[in-house]
Amino acid sequence: MADTAHPPILVVDDNADNAHIIRDYLEARGYPITVAYNGDEAMKAFEEVKPAVVLLDVMMPGRDGWQVCREMKQHPTLGKTVRVVMVTALDDWVNKRQALQTGADDYVEKPFELSKLATTLERNVKLVAPNTGGAQATATRSR
Amino acid sequence: MDYHQLLRDSLTRLPTVAATIDSIRKAVQDRGEIVILYFNFDRYSKVEEVYGWEKLDSVLETTGEAMRAFLGKSPLASSKLMVAFPNDDDFIFFHVPQDDTPAATDAEITELTAGLKEAVSTEIERVHGEDIAALFDIFVGRALVVYNPKLRLERQIYRGIREAANASKSLEHREQAKKVSDLRETLRDRGLYIEYHPIVVTDSQKVFGYEALARGALRSMRSPEVMFEIAAQSDLIWDLSRLCRDRAIEGMAKLLKDGELLFMNVDPADFADPSFDVNTLAVKDPTRVVIEITERTAIKDYPKFRGRLKEFRDKGYRFAVDDAGSGYAGLGSIANLEPDFIKLDISLINCIDQNFIKQNLVETMVRFANEHGAMVIAEGVERKEEYEMVKSLGVHLVQGFFVHKPSTNAVTYRPPALASVPVAQEAKP
Repeated sequence: MADTAHPPILVVDDNADNAHIIRDYLEARGYPITVAYNGDEAMKAFEEVKPAVVLLDVMMPGRDGWQVCREMKQHPTLGKTVRVVMVTALDDWVNKRQALQTGADDYVEKPFELSKLATTLERNVKLVAPNTGGAQATATRSR
Repeated sequence: MDYHQLLRDSLTRLPTVAATIDSIRKAVQDRGEIVILYFNFDRYSKVEEVYGWEKLDSVLETTGEAMRAFLGKSPLASSKLMVAFPNDDDFIFFHVPQDDTPAATDAEITELTAGLKEAVSTEIERVHGEDIAALFDIFVGRALVVYNPKLRLERQIYRGIREAANASKSLEHREQAKKVSDLRETLRDRGLYIEYHPIVVTDSQKVFGYEALARGALRSMRSPEVMFEIAAQSDLIWDLSRLCRDRAIEGMAKLLKDGELLFMNVDPADFADPSFDVNTLAVKDPTRVVIEITERTAIKDYPKFRGRLKEFRDKGYRFAVDDAGSGYAGLGSIANLEPDFIKLDISLINCIDQNFIKQNLVETMVRFANEHGAMVIAEGVERKEEYEMVKSLGVHLVQGFFVHKPSTNAVTYRPPALASVPVAQEAKP
């Protein structure tokens, strides 16, 4: 299993060039990367790799990124711990509100700079609970 | 999705009907009869509507655990077989009596239901807070399945489930009628008291004002959500609103210190009530009253509504948009109301420390408020991390269990007529 600072990451993008640029850049920074090119592949890889963070492109043929995000977040065993970063321009209130409804944790605007992508990824990795490979569970209050 | 996941509900970890049908069939054959109990959880859809699906998922987990613990200690423990619909909010319980024991009677089920309701509600309150627990209600329907070799067993079992579900629904309807009568009694006897929940300045945590929350003296009317839901169904909204307003204003004069503001919830429908008149409200100093209007309710006649708002504004009343950001209306509709205060929707605050999109939205709202001379209130702040986050984002005011525990730190106004009504947790100023 990967070290806590570099947990497994899943990159989902139907544009292979984009996906490979992200993969190469993040691999160079020490992250183990898996790439999927559509929603079906993404869900399969999600269950196999159990990534801590998913970088998810929104515009994909078939199941789009929003649908994939919702399925991941509602996954019975992995949904609570995974962090999903949407790769899209969420330019207004309504779009961001819709993103929240699908369970997304963060977003990075497209077209993105790689350094921005890295900082976005890192701030999500920081919230990943140690030894789980996944993020912190939804907090519940105890009084 | 793996097919195994269809056999067990992931939230409650209970098996589904499909997974247990074989053992149920065998039980009916061996024993000759089984009892099906259908647990219908009322208002869970409301939890989902207000707090979002993640919250209901979490409430269902708690419910499943609490039910398992309670039934495990109940007289039905030796016979229980509990199943759930995957990802739904109802539960089914197959009661298979042991050979020498008769099946549970209706009276026993009623007693069991009361205990179960108490146990689950206590646990929900402990984990998720009073507001969610107050919404909770449960109706248990019962059906007997008697083995008949002439009939296909599975069909009999599914019919039994339907019959038990219908029985629980008719109980719910009967209870509904009882609640309408409780509401009428509340209105007749003016049986309402007010809890004032503190709203504090984020940095200093000094009290800035109080939100008035109406509580019915009757146990069934304790939750304002429930009272208003029943009032809406029975066309009593104006009457209930009037009573709530009167009580909130009465208490304000007695309990609020100088400079502290009263935040009072008003339904947009109330503005159509002729008796909601700016000249007849018994408010001495309107500048100390903030009228909260929820963003959730659609406003049909916008120009007329704004006209009514202006009448109040001209007298010195201030306005707050409640549940701001809950819908898809965006910031434009908030700007139209020209609010003095913007109360963020509770779903934006829940776990805001872990969600960067929520942080971005709240930051946008604070900037918008600062540009429009309004103040942002974060309600539902329950954890230190949430408090620290909203503070760092520049949110002006905060309300929630983290800064003030419910009841113990709220100010309660109980009118003299209700002085003898017992309240579970006595409130102290």
